[in-house]
Amino acid sequence: MITHDVVVIGGGLSGLRCAIELHERGVDVAIVSKVPLIRSHSGAAQGGINASIGSDDSWESHAFDTVKGSDYLADQDTVEILCKEAPDRVLEMEHWGTNFSRKDDGTIAQRPFGGAGFPRTCYAGDRTGHNILHTLHERILRAGIKVYREWLVTRLVIEDDRCLGFVAMDLLNSELEVFKTKATVLATGGYGRIYQKSTNAIINKGFGISLAYRAGVPLQDMEFVQFHPTTLWGTNILITEGARGEGGYLYNKDHERFMKDYASSSMELAPRDIVARSIQQEIDEGRAFPGGYVHLDITHLGKDLIEERLGGIRQICIDFAGIDPVEEPIPVQPGQHYSMGGISSNKDGATPASGLYAVGECACISVHGANRLGGNSLLDTVVFGRRAGVHAADYVTSLGETSDDPLTQALDSEKTAISEMMGNDGESYSSISEELKRTMQENVGVFREKKELEKAVEDVKKLEARARSLKVRTEAREFNLELLNAIELKGMLDLAHVIALGALVREESRGAHYRTDFLERDDKNWLKHTLAYLTPEGPRLEYKDVNITIFQPQRRTY
Amino acid sequence: MIKLKIRRQDGENVWYDLFEVEDRPGMNLLEALFYVQEKLDGSLTFRYSCRGAVCGSCGMLINRVPRLACKTQVSDLRKEPTNEGNPEVLITNKKTETDNDEILIEPLPNLDVIRDLVVDMDPFYSLLESVRPWLEMKNDIPEKENIMDQETQVKLEQYTNCILCAICHGSCPVAERDRKYYGPAALAKAWRFDLDPRENEENRKERLEIVDSESGVWGCDTVYKCVAVCPKKVAPTLGINELRNRIDTNKKKEE
Ligand SMILES: Cc1cc2nc3c(=O)[nH]c(=O)nc-3n(C[C@H](O)[C@H](O)[C@H](O)COP(=O)(O)OP(=O)(O)OC[C@H]3O[C@@H](n4cnc5c(N)ncnc54)[C@H](O)[C@@H]3O)c2cc1C
Ligand code: SF4
Ligand code: FES
Repeated sequence: MITHDVVVIGGGLSGLRCAIELHERGVDVAIVSKVPLIRSHSGAAQGGINASIGSDDSWESHAFDTVKGSDYLADQDTVEILCKEAPDRVLEMEHWGTNFSRKDDGTIAQRPFGGAGFPRTCYAGDRTGHNILHTLHERILRAGIKVYREWLVTRLVIEDDRCLGFVAMDLLNSELEVFKTKATVLATGGYGRIYQKSTNAIINKGFGISLAYRAGVPLQDMEFVQFHPTTLWGTNILITEGARGEGGYLYNKDHERFMKDYASSSMELAPRDIVARSIQQEIDEGRAFPGGYVHLDITHLGKDLIEERLGGIRQICIDFAGIDPVEEPIPVQPGQHYSMGGISSNKDGATPASGLYAVGECACISVHGANRLGGNSLLDTVVFGRRAGVHAADYVTSLGETSDDPLTQALDSEKTAISEMMGNDGESYSSISEELKRTMQENVGVFREKKELEKAVEDVKKLEARARSLKVRTEAREFNLELLNAIELKGMLDLAHVIALGALVREESRGAHYRTDFLERDDKNWLKHTLAYLTPEGPRLEYKDVNITIFQPQRRTY
Repeated sequence: MIKLKIRRQDGENVWYDLFEVEDRPGMNLLEALFYVQEKLDGSLTFRYSCRGAVCGSCGMLINRVPRLACKTQVSDLRKEPTNEGNPEVLITNKKTETDNDEILIEPLPNLDVIRDLVVDMDPFYSLLESVRPWLEMKNDIPEKENIMDQETQVKLEQYTNCILCAICHGSCPVAERDRKYYGPAALAKAWRFDLDPRENEENRKERLEIVDSESGVWGCDTVYKCVAVCPKKVAPTLGINELRNRIDTNKKKEE
């Protein structure tokens, strides 16, 4: 049994920021991550991080944009915290070494982003996530924090609403171990890979979210899935919103700037949900290029500006599509990008189970509501990562001893479960996973409708049944990818079920959740958060009120 | 169809497997490896994460050239020889006139193999840590951001772009013969922090002392192999040269 006061599961921005806070407060903290910290998905974030550090900007204006962008589903008390603490968190990163891009006067440069009334997105070229992730990683090395690198957490142990620790597998040798903690922080990121087309890293399967769900913690607002409007046709690698922020145009096959028909005043810089639907509609109505894409044209920005501010995406286009955006438009289509929903947690990242925290993309705090604004997620990771650290540091000092029995039992039953998965007489994970991705892509996408959503729920149920008897043939102990994928598949199915069901039941259109059979937002019946609890029959849905303080819901136009 | 000839290893056992993969336009080598892993042999193992050349997980030896699998297009590899039997680690490959339907895939050199294409990265990470790769802030932290001119920001960027993929390490002849040599990535990192105007003088000095050694900048053969293979254009050797100059200048000043 491995013991620490606090273990942070996840080595992305939210996990690292949290661990640093705990360490600075003198807590015995360790990090567990299924990939080396710097390989975390956060490193792929391109465009930037929002903070109202500009002299005529204010946290109120940032908060208003965030709430309006969220289609009024965000909780306004947590949005207030997010926007008020933003400048401190961004400046702290600068002090710790992040190489932010600069204005002529040497201060941090800021670019306009969709849905924002002010250019408030601070950036490091178009490699912002990479830069911040490495800065935090450097702080972790400096602090000498213990890291369990390449360990997969497979089960949380929660007894009487209190988290006692978890079981994890060392990928180096497939051995299971149990961790005893006073507090555990989930910082496990998103689930993009339950869709066929996603901007997310291949490792983003949402397994951490399902760990909490399986342990009885509710998932919130899972039906709100963000589709990024501009992903590179073919691989769906992200082409940052910064490309439009810097002045890029969208054209259909008739060379029309079609955004004029959908958001005539904001045009290409309307929020993501709106731009994604507009592109999808162009595709569905035959005005896109064969194969289903439109053009994102930045050629008029000129080589120098593209090199200086969008050098990363230029390289991506050259390497992955054989296209140089200095000379040619970029072929783009919408793809799954971000999860607004997640493990239900509060302004300190605390979940309903004591001693269990959730921060970053795996959590729903809810600052993004029904649609996240670009640049607000990196911000969310560091603001609430830190806050969870502060809270957990306090929490663990007040705790007494607990019994080890539930932990050793969990370890034994996990060992049995995994050994039962080994063998030759069952289906492999890969066909189930492929079918899951297909049904999510086809039926729970940008546009949704009752029949399709019903089909998705039915499909997922069938796949769940098949997954119960899947088998892992590979016996090799070192980095057994087949075993890893098979374990994670069950979590992917959990999430797909919750997302599809939540979307089916929510009979309105709000933010990223767009029902072609219920076109309007319905504040009377649906201005509320969804909570999903696991039962043997599948998810049970409950609802709770939205926290509204300053901004009363208005019609959302851009 | 394309054939992947993959070096396999499990404990002491080493062998090569040949897999036939149905390729398609735009396919990169990481996708080809997934094809094998998902459809042909679930026991094949390799590292990956982002699939977009930003996370640094998937460095391996492809046709004897160390590269990122996700950033390498199968169609380009069709126009290359596999260089099988060539004991050297190459930095670029020739182009062939005719299509070659075989690709040779081996683990990244200069690190021990754990299994198949997964190597033990621990030594690489420890070497990195030896150079104190972090910023110690000065005592007078400004209330707002540090003011930094754009020119410095751009200079730093070349080095902050490093994704710690260890591809340079796999190409380095010094790393091959001296396992204590910090290596191109760590030394490039050392230069990144030395260059940073926000760095505290004391830490800068300490770091310079660390790299002023045979395991450090004086160990480098200056053959620029790392510069040629780096997928992020980091140019470690240039950083090493700068550090050497810095150390020399400091010593002259002291004399
Ligand atoms: C391509 C792309 C670009 C983006 N650009 C921006 C942007 O410009 N601005 C912005 O604000 N947001 C952006 N986002 C969103 C933002 O990057 C993410 O939401 C954020 O980085 C998530 O950070 P995280 O710490 O929550 O999780 P991640 O960085 O995803 O980290 C998750 C960690 O959890 C670990 N983990 C997961 N499951 C387990 C398990 N079971 N056991 C052990 N470890 C586990 C993983 O190893 C990993 O270390 C972008 C997203 C994408 C896809
Ligand atoms: S210097 Fe280049 S090759 Fe070496 S680790 Fe960094 S990115 Fe990789
Ligand atoms: S998978 Fe991230 S660099 Fe190749």
